[in-house]
Amino acid sequence: MKTRILFVDDEPGILDGLRRLLRSYRNEWEMSFASSGQEALAIVAEQSIDAVVTDMRMPGMDGSQLLNELARCHPEIVRFVLSGYSDDEMIIKSVGTAHQYLSKPCDSDLLKAALSRALSLRKLLHEERLLALVSGVSSLPSLPEVYLEILETLRSDGASLRKVGETISRDPAITAKVLQLVNSAFFGLGRKISNPADAASLLGLDVLKTLALSAGVFSQFDQNKISTSDFSLAQVFDHCIAVGLLGKRIAASEEAESNLVSECLLAGTLHDLGKLIIVNEYPEEYARMRLMAKGEGMSEYLAEKEILGATHAEVAAYLLGLWGFTDSVVEAVAYHHQPGLSSYAEFTPLTAVHVANALEGAAQANERTAPCAGLDMSYLEASGLADRLESWGRLRESARDSRK
Amino acid sequence: MDELELLENRLQRERLARKQAEALLEEKSETLYLLNQDLVKLAADLAEREEASRSILEATGDGIITLDESGRIDSFNRAAKGIFGYSQEQVVGQNIDKLFPMGITGEAFKNIPHMQDMERSGELHEATGRRADGSEFFMEISLSQGQLLQRRMIIVSVRDITQRKKAEEERKYMEIQLRQAQKLESIGQLAAGIAHEINTPIQFVGDNTRFLLDAFADIERLLSIYDQVLEAVRANEITEGLVTSVNSIANEIDLDYLRSEIPQAISQTLDGTDRVARIVRAMKEFSHPGDEAKSLIDINKAIQSTITVSRNEWKYDAELETDLDLTLPTVPCLASEFNQVILNIIVNAVHAIRDGKSDDSTAKGAILITTKQEGDWAKISIRDSGSGIPEAIRSKIFDPFFTTKGVGKGTGQGLAIAYSAIVDKHAGTIDVQSEVGVGTTFTIKLPMQG
Ligand SMILES: Nc1ncnc2c1ncn2[C@@H]1O[C@H](COP(=O)(O)OP(=O)(O)OP(=O)(O)O)[C@@H](O)[C@H]1O
Ligand SMILES: [Fe+2]
Ligand SMILES: [Fe+2]
Ligand SMILES: [Mg+2]
Repeated sequence: MKTRILFVDDEPGILDGLRRLLRSYRNEWEMSFASSGQEALAIVAEQSIDAVVTDMRMPGMDGSQLLNELARCHPEIVRFVLSGYSDDEMIIKSVGTAHQYLSKPCDSDLLKAALSRALSLRKLLHEERLLALVSGVSSLPSLPEVYLEILETLRSDGASLRKVGETISRDPAITAKVLQLVNSAFFGLGRKISNPADAASLLGLDVLKTLALSAGVFSQFDQNKISTSDFSLAQVFDHCIAVGLLGKRIAASEEAESNLVSECLLAGTLHDLGKLIIVNEYPEEYARMRLMAKGEGMSEYLAEKEILGATHAEVAAYLLGLWGFTDSVVEAVAYHHQPGLSSYAEFTPLTAVHVANALEGAAQANERTAPCAGLDMSYLEASGLADRLESWGRLRESARDSRK
Repeated sequence: MDELELLENRLQRERLARKQAEALLEEKSETLYLLNQDLVKLAADLAEREEASRSILEATGDGIITLDESGRIDSFNRAAKGIFGYSQEQVVGQNIDKLFPMGITGEAFKNIPHMQDMERSGELHEATGRRADGSEFFMEISLSQGQLLQRRMIIVSVRDITQRKKAEEERKYMEIQLRQAQKLESIGQLAAGIAHEINTPIQFVGDNTRFLLDAFADIERLLSIYDQVLEAVRANEITEGLVTSVNSIANEIDLDYLRSEIPQAISQTLDGTDRVARIVRAMKEFSHPGDEAKSLIDINKAIQSTITVSRNEWKYDAELETDLDLTLPTVPCLASEFNQVILNIIVNAVHAIRDGKSDDSTAKGAILITTKQEGDWAKISIRDSGSGIPEAIRSKIFDPFFTTKGVGKGTGQGLAIAYSAIVDKHAGTIDVQSEVGVGTTFTIKLPMQG
């Protein structure tokens, strides 16, 4: 079946141009065009559409209104912005609901690549309801303490961006959202930013303030809303941060280039975000999954697969992919329990995250993994890295010691 | 006995007389005392009064200098000392020239020492003074004359206005800055809009060109067997196979589609580049950098470029139409100020249209700009279908900082700037007519002769 993409723009020239430009994709893509938000909603109501690419400013219903409406009624649709505006107000208006922002003029290869990539991510999640659920997510719950601290730092006189960046890096959920934003093409960066400190200094205090105060950008975790008491956000975050740091050490010990090192840190920090989505959206299934894993002594991710049809790894990877994170980060998150599913055989962020997670997980009550501490030895052997395991294990010990 | 009686009587008389004398003395001395008292009081009064007038003289912030008829300084109060930095001794007896570098021939002193024209007495003049250290400063002086023991006396009061002058200049500077800032801000606002106006055609020009590249690659496939076909035709050996392969390539590349689409892609591309060029040209015309003096301006063209530059501000809310008198002669004008005025009024019109629109309506409002010649005036009117201006505030809209808009939406300077540009700088007029719920028309008239 062809993928169906709907383009929305009030300027007919843009639609004609896109139609011609993407003609070479006519065998894979079925394209529709709408000249207003209302028209777009009418089309979406009649046909099933996989992705929408919309302009921001249009007479009548504007892009952000359209995206809000789509997120509400058709959350499974991939939502892209292609806009000629680059002002902060527009970005902030759509940051909650747009998966990615592309700015005009947009390189046609970039547009094609971004669209095909977002659409190909769907193979990560097979179930329609999960697709809808995850693409409907606009923010991830963060720790109230950290959120509060960010607000306080921002409000204080002479707020320092470095301090804000440091605080953000203590919360994987906020880290993800801020990096999504800073890497969106609105900010016109050629390279991908992978750490919160750089992100904070690029965004600047004003944008950060507006973001922090905008509804729907950051949300706070509410333990009371979760029916299972078997979940601690702080514990998951601690684990994520530990995996990130260890992943970074491992990469550094392999003398990986700095870019790769910081991707390992990032992928590690984000790797278990899928758990937040699951526990938030499917608390009952989450509780059942825990019981099943305990009762049958199986790995949690396998129990998730059994009950939900997807693992927390796949769920997070799908979301991060929609948000425009790099392939290597998405892959590291997606396969951190099953690295053998990846087709790479060299050292990648996946290697670092998989190993760091297994080493950290061995000590975590929350992630009791299968024998051999959840390590996929055949993957490591195939990558020719099995002999490194011992020294990586020592890195973890020394990291533990230095933290004490 | 008689003797004793006599003595007794005399004694009694004397006693009486002494008593009388004593009483008289007492009376006299009391009068004297009272008199003396009065005198003392009078003297004290006098001294006090003199003291008072001297202290008033000394206390006053204005410098007071008295001159005799020849222009020699008689007295010099404390404020004057402070202002000029001389002591009394240094100037008394000296000519007033010493204090005024322009001399008493300067404008303000034309009538001294023979100040006949007493009507000018008390009038304020600005003059330049010179201090003891040689530095010069601005001051305000006023002259008057008085009579002192038959002698004519000229009283000069001086006030150092360096601070005031500075403040005035500062204010003027700030006003310029403010105006510059508002202009910059509106240019900043415009810039985002202009970027969008340019990015849109650039996007589709790029897309179309990319398409043309792909399309040409397709056509190239067809051309690649062109030689074979030609050869075959020449040799009169056209085979069924050749025809089939031409057909199948044409099918594969969807030749019919390309044929109808390529010309459109080219014309839209040209259209896009025209749009960019037009915007860039209008930007240049709109900002007219650095024209300090008036030059002869084609008002219609100026309006057109302002409309083009601001298109993004109005296009989502209004249809903008023009009815321009193409025979309108050029008008002496400060182009960038004029453009700013038109822009301010257009932006106000858009705001009023948005304001008057009900939430669920998607209908656009209307703006109409007309120009026409009326006698020696060029008349420009800008009509909108917006919310209108209530009677009660109509007289305030040209006041600086008067605004009905929220913070960040308006600073209340748009029309104040328009007023000063049109009325003060161009000797023109700007008027408004408005009906609440119907719309507003601003009418500007500029004299054709500068
Ligand atoms: N076309 C119009 N229709 C209705 N009201 C208007 C119109 N033009 C001006 N006004 C009123 O006059 C006020 C003053 O206008 P002015 O342009 O000086 O300031 P502003 O638009 O509020 O702010 P600024 O122009 O500095 O951004 C406005 O706030 C508005 O109430
Ligand atoms: Fe995990
Ligand atoms: Fe984990
Ligand atoms: Mg205004």
